[in-house]
Amino acid sequence: MRDARKLVLGMLALVAAMALTACGSGSGTTGETAEIVSGDFTPVADAPAGYSEVSGEADIQRPENGGTVVSLRVTGLEPNTDYTAHLHTGGCDQADPGGPHFQFKKGGSEEPPNEIHLEFTSGADGEGKARVSTDRDVPVGEAGSVVIHSAEEESHHEAAASGTTEAETVMASRFVHEGEHHGGEAQPHSEMIACAELEGAAARNGEATAGEVGGEVPTIEVRDGEPVGGVQTLEFSAGEEIRFRVSSDAAEEIHIHGYDIAKDVPAGGTIEFDFPAELEGIYEAELEGLGVQIAELRINP
Amino acid sequence: MSFLPLAHALASRQDLPVPAWLFAWGASIVLVVSFFALAAGWRTPRFEQLHERPLGAEVSRLLLGAPAQALCGAIGVFLLGFAVYAGLEGTEAPDRNFALTFLYVTCWLGFPFFSAILGDLFRPFNPWRAIGRAAGAGFALVAGQRPAHAAYPERLGRWPAAIGLLAVVWLEVVWGKAGSGFDPQTVATAALVYSGYTLAMMAVFGVEEWCEKGEVFSVYFGMFGRLGIFGSRDGRLERRRPFSAATTWATIPGSAAVVIASIATTSFDGGQEGAFKDGIESMTGWIEDLGFSVLTSLRLSSTIFMLLCFAGVGLVYLLGVRGMRTVPGAPPTEKLRTGFAHTLIPIALAYLVAHYFSFFVFQEQAQFGFLLSDPLGTGTTDLFGTAAWEVDYKVLSANAIWYVQVAALITGHVIGLMLAHDRALVYWPDYRNATASQYWMLAVMVAFTCFGLYLLSVANG
Repeated sequence: MRDARKLVLGMLALVAAMALTACGSGSGTTGETAEIVSGDFTPVADAPAGYSEVSGEADIQRPENGGTVVSLRVTGLEPNTDYTAHLHTGGCDQADPGGPHFQFKKGGSEEPPNEIHLEFTSGADGEGKARVSTDRDVPVGEAGSVVIHSAEEESHHEAAASGTTEAETVMASRFVHEGEHHGGEAQPHSEMIACAELEGAAARNGEATAGEVGGEVPTIEVRDGEPVGGVQTLEFSAGEEIRFRVSSDAAEEIHIHGYDIAKDVPAGGTIEFDFPAELEGIYEAELEGLGVQIAELRINP
Repeated sequence: MSFLPLAHALASRQDLPVPAWLFAWGASIVLVVSFFALAAGWRTPRFEQLHERPLGAEVSRLLLGAPAQALCGAIGVFLLGFAVYAGLEGTEAPDRNFALTFLYVTCWLGFPFFSAILGDLFRPFNPWRAIGRAAGAGFALVAGQRPAHAAYPERLGRWPAAIGLLAVVWLEVVWGKAGSGFDPQTVATAALVYSGYTLAMMAVFGVEEWCEKGEVFSVYFGMFGRLGIFGSRDGRLERRRPFSAATTWATIPGSAAVVIASIATTSFDGGQEGAFKDGIESMTGWIEDLGFSVLTSLRLSSTIFMLLCFAGVGLVYLLGVRGMRTVPGAPPTEKLRTGFAHTLIPIALAYLVAHYFSFFVFQEQAQFGFLLSDPLGTGTTDLFGTAAWEVDYKVLSANAIWYVQVAALITGHVIGLMLAHDRALVYWPDYRNATASQYWMLAVMVAFTCFGLYLLSVANG
């Protein structure tokens, strides 16, 4: 009887010890603190007149309990004017500064909460501040820049200029409505003013790319409905960017399971996937139409 | 050599292999625990009596009375019927059809997991038992006498259930995964065929007799239910010592085959894209060279590997039995073979948890999300407002899954050792001989547990 209890206790102690060891090593990897990525605003190449002195800073913070806070602080704007800023995926140094808007669900809604928009009004001294928080994690590698636009639409501008705040709100909401209905360009008449490239993000992107074989983005070649060289295994670590290209001799839809991302590759064309490794585990990439697996994505913790 | 990819019908995610350091930890703990167990074993059996305590008469009446039985049976029949209907009429997309997830995940994995804790949960909901009993009652009413049944051949024992168990898993992981075949229509049709077969067997041998020995699901789920803490006897619900009911499970011939089939099929599925992958590929190549199509070759080679797993697991167990036979005072081989079969039930459960726990957690989100509200996968139905709920793969981190997997194997190992030690005390009155016999069972258990760890560490390798 006593022997039995000793045995059970001993085994419990062992299992507990293992659990502790396990937890100890596990928590080490999850104890990340607030991550900060920031960048300085500079006027874009074709900024409208009067904005050459714009400067300031944008940053992204990750509170310890998760989520994302994007904030900006900028000077040199017109006094008492409405502005909008968006989080973009690309850097500032390109023909279309910032590139496409950051979206949590790619190809989804072009409005918050799927995108990150910051709307603000400058003070009498031409200084503006804005801050927006979301409970979702913006993958650091995906945030390329914050771009400030002039207020939404010309008509909106006029209303704002007339000084009636009520009219302003009405016009603004009508605009948002139209934007949703058309589902297209959100700011047909707005002008780009300044762009802040998020430096940490760029550095991280560089790291992720350098980590790939030969410093290049891996490409999976599809020929006759099969991956050349068999199903490719691509390994990533959770939190980094998953980047790879697929080229195909025929038009195919490439589907990434689990992440549920799909993209069409035209016949003879190449497409690039670029999304954050949010989910751990092994996921398949397949030719959706044929049901043929072309790659296995391994996302290690 | 061209090769068909193994399309995973339901899971769009697979577990990462257990990292080497955790494998080493797990294996070391298994060895330490095992030697510890040898040194500190108890001297009187602790699980061989049920140690049951009846629950209140009112609770028993409420849960086991005729109305409750009729209700549970009706629920079982309705759900089976609905799953078959969804399979035949719903979408062909396996992951969007209620039938596959309900039958192969919610029931096939859910009943073992929960029965192992609570006791046999399937019996009251068994749709075929409910239909069979209703038919029997109807017959008695019309004919004025109970239906007569043929005597069940004793030697057949639980072999029909063991073979059925292999067939059920084979349909999923061999027929189904090799490119095509695991679609809702096939499974619904298989369910109908199985229903016809089961009802016919019940008519011949009697409902309870067939459930006890031949009906795959009753035998398989009931086996895990023996580990659980609730049971019933003579219409009375009782609480019993955990694992104690397992000691009386293997008295029917062929029981060992059932538990070995369970370990073997889980091993095969766990290893078919890892440990056995190269072997299956080579064999598929040879069979292809004989002139078979790729798909046929892949299915044939997978079938052969599944049967090899069954033979391999069985062989390890029989070697252990043979070893125990050499210990002075040992009972006959036959008695040893059935006598220790129940000690493998915790191992079988550990294998199930290790290989399917994360799959179960993820897929049940689909079950109670979009599959519940849109069972046919039409995309337009939303019965309970959950049609938009998708599977959230973030609920379990890779680390959490690894720890559960390794912990399950170690826990199963420990419980298996305890049951085996207990049984040895009954068979060998001399304590020293009893301990000596357990070197053999210990070797068997260490082999299974380390093999389980190995399968996890090379999963999808």
